Amino acid sequence: MSGVFVYIENAGGEMASISSEALGVARGVAADLGSSVTAVVIGSGVDGVASAAFDLGADNVIAVDDASLEHYTASAYGPTVTQIVGDGGADVLVAGASTEGRDISAWVSADTGAGLMADAIGVKVDDGRVVATRTVYAGKLLADVSVPEGLQIVTTRNRAFPPAESTGGSGAASSASAVEAAGDAQVVGISQKESGVSLTDASKIVSGGRGVGGPEGFEPVQALADSIGAAMGASRAAVDAGWIPYDHQVGQTGKTVSPDLYIACGISGAIQHQAGMRTSKVIVAINKDSDAPIFGLASYGIVGDLFEVLPALESEFKSRM
Amino acid sequence: MKVVVCVKQTPSTTATFSVSDNVVSWEDTGSGKPNVVNPWDEFCVEEGIRMKENHGASAVVALTAGPEGAVDVLRTSLAMGCTEAFHVADDAIADMDANNNAKVLAAAVNQIGDAQVIICGKQAIDGDSGVTPVLLARELGMTPLTYVSAIKSVDGGSITVERLTEAGQQEVTASLPVVVSVVREINEPRYPSFMGIRKANKAKIPTTNLADLGVEASGSSNVNWGTIYAPAAREGEVEMLSGDVGDQVKALVDRLFEEKVI
Ligand SMILES: Cc1cc2nc3c(=O)[nH]c(=O)nc-3n(C[C@H](O)[C@H](O)[C@H](O)COP(=O)(O)OP(=O)(O)OC[C@H]3O[C@@H](n4cnc5c(N)ncnc54)[C@H](O)[C@@H]3O)c2cc1C
Ligand SMILES: Nc1ncnc2c1ncn2[C@@H]1O[C@H](COP(=O)(O)O)[C@@H](O)[C@H]1O
Repeated sequence: MSGVFVYIENAGGEMASISSEALGVARGVAADLGSSVTAVVIGSGVDGVASAAFDLGADNVIAVDDASLEHYTASAYGPTVTQIVGDGGADVLVAGASTEGRDISAWVSADTGAGLMADAIGVKVDDGRVVATRTVYAGKLLADVSVPEGLQIVTTRNRAFPPAESTGGSGAASSASAVEAAGDAQVVGISQKESGVSLTDASKIVSGGRGVGGPEGFEPVQALADSIGAAMGASRAAVDAGWIPYDHQVGQTGKTVSPDLYIACGISGAIQHQAGMRTSKVIVAINKDSDAPIFGLASYGIVGDLFEVLPALESEFKSRM
Repeated sequence: MKVVVCVKQTPSTTATFSVSDNVVSWEDTGSGKPNVVNPWDEFCVEEGIRMKENHGASAVVALTAGPEGAVDVLRTSLAMGCTEAFHVADDAIADMDANNNAKVLAAAVNQIGDAQVIICGKQAIDGDSGVTPVLLARELGMTPLTYVSAIKSVDGGSITVERLTEAGQQEVTASLPVVVSVVREINEPRYPSFMGIRKANKAKIPTTNLADLGVEASGSSNVNWGTIYAPAAREGEVEMLSGDVGDQVKALVDRLFEEKVI
């Protein structure tokens, strides 16, 4: 079969959004190489994900549908993906750089000796080989990396690439069987996160920092976020103060986000905060100090008290949407 | 039960970088400390120490692979409460790809011997790859348990952990030995005690190199670091919106609609 393989994550019966981005990258690479895209889908009850992969332009889908694979473990999924990629003679394996995609890409890399290009923010083909652009040192530098020989594995950073567009394609997935797990890891319990936009998937984020002054200071931040369907972020100062859970922290030791719109309220813009949000498309800074470093990064700035600006901005949005 | 914690030295978060002839160098004029314990590894050191305090581990060995100066992260780990340290000192490690870096760590773990639980950080802030724990687990033939937010129990030769993923939490049980990577939710790292620092400064730390470990240094990268460069500055200057609050927010919303981000 050879060609470009893409590992598709099953998020409760649907394709994970990061996998549709990875699939888009795989299609681009396959087009440049003049080869095809094979999607690999694993789990229990994955028909929907397999059809979604066809719809988003996969030429082939290999599905491993097995009740024993209902819950993800690296030990069960890793050997199966390794086998499929090996049997298919893949030239390239693409996966999203999620927790699962990082596990799987590392597993295949370890077991095949293939070079791993982790967390790409750009991918192109040069002379028949993939060249991945990745950030190093929290985005202070970029590196163009490649794997000179053999299988090339690349993982794609969340939201660094647009999701694959529908081609209206359809087909029948070929089924493969699960390979015996390596070791005895067993999932003995799961608890699903409450729904709501996750920070890393969000296309809009409104974040609050020390400037919000206390836990209740996040109320106008939340209200503004709600008015435009944004997720809520925070600086480490606000998290460390106990005003908001760590889940919301954006930055070098929090989440790396890349929304279309990032509104920073009462955040000075320390280098570690910037590391997590500097690739946002449009950045708005609201801060009472006109010298705050965040303005050096922002597309639009408002100097003012966030407790006045945020409610005004919220009602302006509401009156125009 | 012996525990090994993998601690990497990385540039500080405030370091500034320059590239010349594709070779990266850095300094930190603010703090004067260009290299630090990888921030994510503070949690793995802490969890290792808690394995001794809460789960009966007999030894907690801090392991690093890096240049000579990386011994500093081992002293910090000892000062926090690790019982031993092990240093693979070799300048060649910096140029290795993740796979070969993991091979070095695996050889060191084997040399240390008899480790039942290996604990890593979630990722190292130099490359933010987060792939070493699985690579290391495969190299050692151990089960990887990544993104662990709680070690629930360790007994009868098995471990139960809680993992944190995009979808929520997963509780997983596996037989030892395992390689665990931990996330920040797992604990609050302690500060080294004064006594701990004094003891750590006097400790004699076993050091080895690649040749003695039997790991090849040459030809050890399957990944070619073509070019390294500074990213282009963000396009355009900031547009400060003026007037009273009403004017400012109106102008801002206009711009955001024009930019099609709303
Ligand atoms: C190893 C390490 C890792 C780190 N990781 C992270 C990370 O992941 N994420 C992160 O964010 N930080 C991180 N930091 C911390 C970082 O250095 C800063 O301390 C932190 O980002 C500051 O948060 P802040 O901007 O909210 O607070 P401050 O720097 O105190 O800024 C508050 C801002 O609010 C403004 N303000 C105050 N009141 C108002 C008001 N009423 N209206 C409008 N503006 C107001 C002030 O002018 C000021 O600019 C890290 C630090 C280290 C050492
Ligand atoms: N050279 C090294 N020495 C010690 N620990 C390491 C080394 N490289 C990676 N690690 C461990 O592996 C984790 C993930 O690293 P990485 O895959 O580089 O992001 C780190 O948090 C460390 O715990």
